[in-house]
Amino acid sequence: MKKWLVLFLMAMMAFVLAACTASQDAGEEPAEGEEGTAAETGGEKILRLNNAQEPTSFDPSIGFDAVSWNALNNLMEGLTRLDENSQPVEATAESIDISEDGKTYTFKIREDANWSNGETVKASDFVFGWRHMLDPETASPAAFLGYFIEGAEAYNTGEGSAEDVKVVAEDDKTLVVTLTAPTEAFLNIITNPNFFPIHEATATENPEWHTEAESFVGNGPFKLASWSHDEEFVFEKNEEYWDAANVKLDGVHWAMVNDTNTEYQMYQADELDVSSVPAELSEDLMESPEISILDQAGTYFYRYNVEEEPFTNKKVRQAFAFAVNQEDIVQYVTKNGEKPAHGFTSYGFEGPDGNDFRDTAGDLVKFDAEKAKQLLEEGMQEEGWETLPEVTLTFSTSDTHQIIAETLQDQFKQTLGVDVKLQSVESAVFAEEQSAFEYQASRSSFLHDYADPVNALESFITGSSMNRTQWSNPEFDQLIADAKTETDSQVRWEKLIEAEKLLMDEMPIFPIHFYNQVQLQKEGVSGVLRHPVGYLDLKNADKQ
Amino acid sequence: MGRYILKRFLMMLMTIFIIATLTFFLMHAVPGSPLETERTTNETIQANLEKFYKLDQPLYIQYFDYMKSLATFDFGPSIKDPNRTVNELLERGFPISFELGIITIIIAVLSGVLLGILAALRHNKLLDYGAMAFAVIGISIPNFVMATLLIQQLAVTWDIFPPATWKSPMHMVLPVLALATGPMAIIARLTRSSMLEVLTQDYIKMARAKGIKPVRIVFRHALRNAMMPVVTIMGTLLAGILTGTFVIEKIFAIPGMGKYFVDSINNRDYPVIMGTTVFYSAFLIFMLFLVDIVYGILDPRIKLHKKEGDV
Repeated sequence: MKKWLVLFLMAMMAFVLAACTASQDAGEEPAEGEEGTAAETGGEKILRLNNAQEPTSFDPSIGFDAVSWNALNNLMEGLTRLDENSQPVEATAESIDISEDGKTYTFKIREDANWSNGETVKASDFVFGWRHMLDPETASPAAFLGYFIEGAEAYNTGEGSAEDVKVVAEDDKTLVVTLTAPTEAFLNIITNPNFFPIHEATATENPEWHTEAESFVGNGPFKLASWSHDEEFVFEKNEEYWDAANVKLDGVHWAMVNDTNTEYQMYQADELDVSSVPAELSEDLMESPEISILDQAGTYFYRYNVEEEPFTNKKVRQAFAFAVNQEDIVQYVTKNGEKPAHGFTSYGFEGPDGNDFRDTAGDLVKFDAEKAKQLLEEGMQEEGWETLPEVTLTFSTSDTHQIIAETLQDQFKQTLGVDVKLQSVESAVFAEEQSAFEYQASRSSFLHDYADPVNALESFITGSSMNRTQWSNPEFDQLIADAKTETDSQVRWEKLIEAEKLLMDEMPIFPIHFYNQVQLQKEGVSGVLRHPVGYLDLKNADKQ
Repeated sequence: MGRYILKRFLMMLMTIFIIATLTFFLMHAVPGSPLETERTTNETIQANLEKFYKLDQPLYIQYFDYMKSLATFDFGPSIKDPNRTVNELLERGFPISFELGIITIIIAVLSGVLLGILAALRHNKLLDYGAMAFAVIGISIPNFVMATLLIQQLAVTWDIFPPATWKSPMHMVLPVLALATGPMAIIARLTRSSMLEVLTQDYIKMARAKGIKPVRIVFRHALRNAMMPVVTIMGTLLAGILTGTFVIEKIFAIPGMGKYFVDSINNRDYPVIMGTTVFYSAFLIFMLFLVDIVYGILDPRIKLHKKEGDV
């Protein structure tokens, strides 16, 4: 007995010693772990990804987030799909006719477009799916994306009926959609999972069809083979898919690991093919050959409350904005390869002239210490202030927001000689109080719902729920309204650029950086598409 | 005994009712809403959602509705996970958390008690110092640090165990070790000190004098008394392991209940907050009740009905 106990104790001691040595060289581990070996998947090409969480819902109208739609985008398919240049191309639709006035779209659905149960995809499945999304009973958080369609807003707000929504199945394979106004981004908007068709017979029979793998019916490159809730789900190649010949993977395995450190360790242990980068390691891993950095359309910025002193004064708002050194923040603080933001609308939107929106609009706000000081002086004179009213920056609790806010605090002190206070607030409280205009200046973010600059800019029209600055400018509202109904794309583009310039001159906000998508991806994995706006696309993905 | 248990049971129900009521009003008093996010959609959609989850009703109506459904063990739908009810989340998460917890407790108690006895028998010898040094290390390293060390060393570098998830016994080794080390160390120290005390008592000397085998003395005569302090802190340790699983489940991506509990608060997912809080507290109260009964079995001098006056 005693001997056994001694052995046991020694084993325990050895283990503690091992744990102690681990801590000494833990910092050097990542470099070692990078030589991942090829996965042994028994000849089958199975891509192993991490979805972080249980998808909110695989009902296309409900899961308004990346954890649902990154997966769903590969289980189902809309009329159009984004290609490798992030441009919409025909998918379930074989051809698309647009009327002269740009308001009526006629889609011909492919003859060989099938559901995973072998039935053919009908135009009426789209009508069913889109009505489901707009139905107020569904309470879809993404229903507003459908408001471009005539009758959609009325139906969703309970004033109209489903029959008045101008989405009509002329025959089994022809879908006609009428819009309220010509909308250039429409073909892009309908790549969104919200606009996927729903197999009518399945959904009518079982409204819970999307909650289990057994009952799920899709029309995408993959089908849902199994789904163990909160643990993992597995895709298999969908042989019924119209373009199955070009789908290279045999399947996709999705884990749900909601901790970036664990995810990264699983990647190192070769249990995942793709991993996000833990914040603490981003600086080291930026140099890794396995890293991929791509644009994501969206902006990290601060809102002013233009009804609260001192930000009632435009020059004071400008002074603070020009005192921010965005380059320093991305280079030395976030260290995650982001692009500094010198305007509100991010990169990635090409105009009719072939130039990027951001490049045409130019650098509208850039660090300029002299200008900032002068603007502050002028602003204070205009208002007759001897000393500047106290300023507090508020952000939702997070390490990243904290260090950025501390940097801003330091930059305002250095450049303007102003001591600002910082306040960190729990995120749900923050969201509520920011909407109630309780903060003087507060951290915000914007991510695009569809790929058009107007999506970003319309946030700041009077009364928009995304505005949250109390800023209201009739000229700006007019520019956005005009751009939305303009048929000449060049004129529309110019109006949007004018709106962007006006926004950055009035400065109800100041930008920090644009978002990006940083990922580690094992060598041998290719063809995984990540768009600036849009969801993960594995249709052409391959793995060696 | 029967009367005592019945009385304690009614008290348990009362406590749970008070916890449910307090949680309900506290959670609604905290600013923020399950439907308010950075990306707020338009007002109609917001109103549709509020109506769908009955959040547009006055608070007292929501409270009575909730209490009514609680009485039938119906915890309602989740707001963030609209396809599932809270009952389903609990049914899915609890068995896994329970498995993790129960294995941890068994490992912690067995190894802790053994280590404690060993240290006591080899008092002031190398083994004693070794065991106690180990215990101090175990107490000082928080379980989440332990977890990271274990993954880095045993999973990534040496590739012995899988780094995360919960699928096979191999997957269970690291999370259980990480979670069990702290409680094990506490139990080891307690067992050692009370064992040392018990071993000097007259009845042990008497047993020795009678020529009873040392192993029998230790496990039959001494341990029974020495275990009393350990049983006393079991309640606290249980609570510790229960809360420890929140962190460990997250680090090891174990699909247990901890995630729902933590996420629900961040999301203000009211039905899930209520469901998990009520469930956890009911579970903990029940376990404390069991500890009380075990206490009586171990030491017949403590009569359960005598404690009525104290409670």
